[in-house]
Amino acid sequence: MREKEYRRLTRSKSRSIFGIVSTARSSLWLGQDHLLGIDTSGYTETYKRFYFRDIQAVILRKTEWWKAWGVAFGAGTALFALIALLGGDAIVAWIFGSLAGLFLFGLILDLAAGPSCACCLRTAVQTEELPSMNRVRRARKTLARLRPLIAQAQGELAPEEIPARMQAWLAANSPGNLTPSATPRFVVDDPNAPPRIVG
Amino acid sequence: MDSPLPCPRCKAPLNESLVNRSDLAPCPACGTALQVEIYPALFRRFTPGRDGEAVVVETESSCFYHPQKKAVLPCEGCGRFLCALCDCELHGQHFCPACLESGKKKGRIKRLENERTLYDNIALSLAIYPLLIFYFTIITAPMSLYIALRYWNAPRSIVHRTKARLIVAILLAGLQVTGWAVGIFYLTTRVRPHA
Repeated sequence: MREKEYRRLTRSKSRSIFGIVSTARSSLWLGQDHLLGIDTSGYTETYKRFYFRDIQAVILRKTEWWKAWGVAFGAGTALFALIALLGGDAIVAWIFGSLAGLFLFGLILDLAAGPSCACCLRTAVQTEELPSMNRVRRARKTLARLRPLIAQAQGELAPEEIPARMQAWLAANSPGNLTPSATPRFVVDDPNAPPRIVG
Repeated sequence: MDSPLPCPRCKAPLNESLVNRSDLAPCPACGTALQVEIYPALFRRFTPGRDGEAVVVETESSCFYHPQKKAVLPCEGCGRFLCALCDCELHGQHFCPACLESGKKKGRIKRLENERTLYDNIALSLAIYPLLIFYFTIITAPMSLYIALRYWNAPRSIVHRTKARLIVAILLAGLQVTGWAVGIFYLTTRVRPHA
């Protein structure tokens, strides 16, 4: 049997917070030497490849959306349960009881998934948001799977060398230390035309 | 620039005490809880691209695109000689810009492919959704059949996917087309206008 080229890393998640009505979804897959981000509209797929050797940083930012969803689901559960209990009619009780059950299920799922986060991945040319890593616990699990692969491709940063590397980066990127090749010289031949880069 | 890494929320520079921790730590400026992992690529210096050496001896092989520059290797797509400037390296393979462009457009270089149309999903949707308003299926069922058969061998999703959706689409659309054919046949042959 042919080995699969990609293995699923995260389940597909909506790019918008209104995931139930949105068809645009995003997922992450693990390739041999890269991470594949798939954005799908349902009828087309767009691929973004992040090679392990190019990944510079991954940043998780904790968000409060899980609390907002929890409150919304909790309020929905309470409201429908109340209507079901006070409605009197058996059919009304069944309908609103089912709705309350649905909201309760949503609330349980939300709480079980834990705190939400926004995750972004940085390379030299872009910073890409990864919507499928939208819960802290799931994002950490995914990172734990990625860490050894990135280390294999790039090597590891010892904690004690990080300050020195950051200082060196700052020194190299301070305005006075930019090399001439990084600051192109240009000549304005004609005031009505764009400048011409020389050297 | 104060730091190679800004906070994703407030863009304030993040210091080294925040990076590669196992827990969330607050951004010093906005207080957002962050977990930052950095890798050696963050500090990698980029070397400027090579522009190719000029041909000094007349008998030296020269670049196809720049005859005044020395060829360093052949393109693995078309075999043309390339100078260092025209050499586009892609995971150990060397291509000229034209082959790279055509490889991307025609999907020959899989690693450059960045979009695919999911014809199996389109065919299946055309076979299922119009069932809600059945009369539409007289148009959508043949469309679904056509797409499923026309794109039977077209590449599907880049992540493994079987032909199951196409098969289901053909079966459903086939049933709908048969249903319409039988219905129309019945209406035209059995139901006679009252005399």
